[in-house]
Amino acid sequence: MPLIMITIFGYTFGGDVKNIDVCVVNLDQAPANQSMAGAIISELGTRDTLDIVRVYSPSDAYLDPVAIGREKVEDADIWAIIFFNETFTQDAAAIAGDGTGQSALVRLIADGTNPNIVQAISNDILTAIRAVLGTSAFVVPISISTDLVYGEGARFIDFFAPGVMGLAAMMVTFMLSIISFIHERTTSTLDRLLTTPVTEGEIVAGYALAFGLVGLVQSIVIILTAVALFEIQIVGNPFTVLLIIFVFGAGNQGMGFLLSSLAKNEFQAIQFIPLILFPSLLLSGVFWPIEAVPAFLRPVSYFVPLTYAVEGMRSIMIRGWGMGSIWPEFAVLVIFAGIMLLLSAYSLRKRR
Amino acid sequence: MSGAGGGKGTKMTRMLEGAGDIVRTHRLRKEFEDLVAVDDLDLKVGPGLLYGMIGPNGSGKTTAIKMLVGLLRPTAGKAYVLGEKVPIVDNISRIGYMPQEMAIYADLTVHENLELFSRLYSMDRELFEKRERELLKVIDLSDRRDALVSQLSGGMKHRTSLACALMHDPEVVFLDEPTVGVDPELRVGFWKYFADLKARGKTVIMTTHYMDEAVRCDLVGMMRLGRLIGEGTPKELMAMTSTSDLESAFMTMARKVGT
Ligand SMILES: Nc1ncnc2c1ncn2[C@@H]1O[C@H](COP(=O)(O)OP(=O)(O)OP(=O)(O)O)[C@@H](O)[C@H]1O
Ligand SMILES: [Mg+2]
Repeated sequence: MPLIMITIFGYTFGGDVKNIDVCVVNLDQAPANQSMAGAIISELGTRDTLDIVRVYSPSDAYLDPVAIGREKVEDADIWAIIFFNETFTQDAAAIAGDGTGQSALVRLIADGTNPNIVQAISNDILTAIRAVLGTSAFVVPISISTDLVYGEGARFIDFFAPGVMGLAAMMVTFMLSIISFIHERTTSTLDRLLTTPVTEGEIVAGYALAFGLVGLVQSIVIILTAVALFEIQIVGNPFTVLLIIFVFGAGNQGMGFLLSSLAKNEFQAIQFIPLILFPSLLLSGVFWPIEAVPAFLRPVSYFVPLTYAVEGMRSIMIRGWGMGSIWPEFAVLVIFAGIMLLLSAYSLRKRR
Repeated sequence: MSGAGGGKGTKMTRMLEGAGDIVRTHRLRKEFEDLVAVDDLDLKVGPGLLYGMIGPNGSGKTTAIKMLVGLLRPTAGKAYVLGEKVPIVDNISRIGYMPQEMAIYADLTVHENLELFSRLYSMDRELFEKRERELLKVIDLSDRRDALVSQLSGGMKHRTSLACALMHDPEVVFLDEPTVGVDPELRVGFWKYFADLKARGKTVIMTTHYMDEAVRCDLVGMMRLGRLIGEGTPKELMAMTSTSDLESAFMTMARKVGT
């Protein structure tokens, strides 16, 4: 077990951001074998930081690819579009040749929800440009202009705050739930409860409600502190954030109950805490985006409920989205909570 | 000293033949892996009786009670409580259970514990207050009503646990060693209360290691290695074994069944 943890940790901690989904719009009219834009794009393609989902060429111009790309960024389907205009190669050549004209411009329209990602994208473009121009060029005739769709002025703390809220809610509800259940078990109060007219479902629901509220209160404190001390942005509706926390907290409570009722004794139950907490901590995008999780571990990320809680809260707080847009994440959390609560009620019943 | 029901032994036994048994088991059995904790137990307890289970540590008393209150699934055999097959559901609020362990919330006060259990039985406020006063008197903790359970002595915790089991005034109450660690004076009080319960037609099924308590029961079941090796009124048991106390009666019975 500790071995698995250290391995995951080693692979994720400080790992490079990779496989960022982007689209490229290349309207450069230079012939293909001379096009600098083409060269940069193929250079980007050989590197693994960006995953180019689609390249729009001049023949796609009638589609208005920039608008389409921007829309995709707005929908958070992709992190950015990288746009090369018609005169890209020409501009670059002109400025490199006689220093006249405007510098060639790579336009980046990016989702600024996570500053690290925007940073990674523009760094990668710069690296690709340097590779194409070769080391000889000491004047780089190309510049990048970045245009943020969301998170204008977002700092790392803005990205971080929803993650911390999710993580804190998880820690308190999951751990409290495991510990209270162990306590109910070892002091036999559970036995006593089970001989009253209260059903297993009611016991679980009662706990879920209580711990959902605990998570809620905690999150309110975190939000208020973060706003007061760090002036974090909350673009969307904070109540939707709290709703997410409540459902997520209830789900974690169910998971805690379930795991500790599956455990033979309290020592086993306690071991579930790091077993669940560690992958959540590392793989859910609390500290670094999912894009920094190595590809082979990323499927695990999609099984970690915290991933959805954090993503949902970020969308609300930074992108300003409402329930209408974050419903997929919310639905995952509701399903998670539902399954966990049902299973834990069932496992309580099975204990007899 | 003869028990409350001692003199009417034969009549009691006859009453047990009748229908309307509060508890009835047929070859009830519980195995933990290769250990047989309760071995084909046949029990019959009629209404309004004080039934005492005695037997050494590990003889299966707690296991038998846990099956009756629905906390353990029998490996084999049948058990009925209040005419319903265990685990009972419909009649669950008509029974009370005091586990052998403390089983109360240490971070709540005595009052809060009692109130919690009254709520779980959906008792109304007025009734709760009346019952609370009554029970606090029985367990002699009226002056410690608002003390945290964690700050009570062992015996006091035990008394609180008993009160929680009796809060909703159940028709039949299963008490697993209710008088352990309770001082002699208070135990006398408890027995008065048990007699009172009995007078009100309630059934008490309890385990005990105190023979002076067992003789006060109407019926005593002697458990050994998961089996019921003898059952009857204390008088009968002593007569059967030609002994003058239950302790020796138990020894003789145990020798008789061998092992
Ligand atoms: N959950 C369990 N798993 C395995 N064995 C168990 C379990 N519960 C009880 N036992 C075993 O079953 C036997 C009967 O135990 P039980 O608790 O019923 O005894 P008891 O008569 O109540 O004893 P005591 O007077 O000490 O309370 C013992 O040998 C005990 O070790
Ligand atoms: Mg016992």
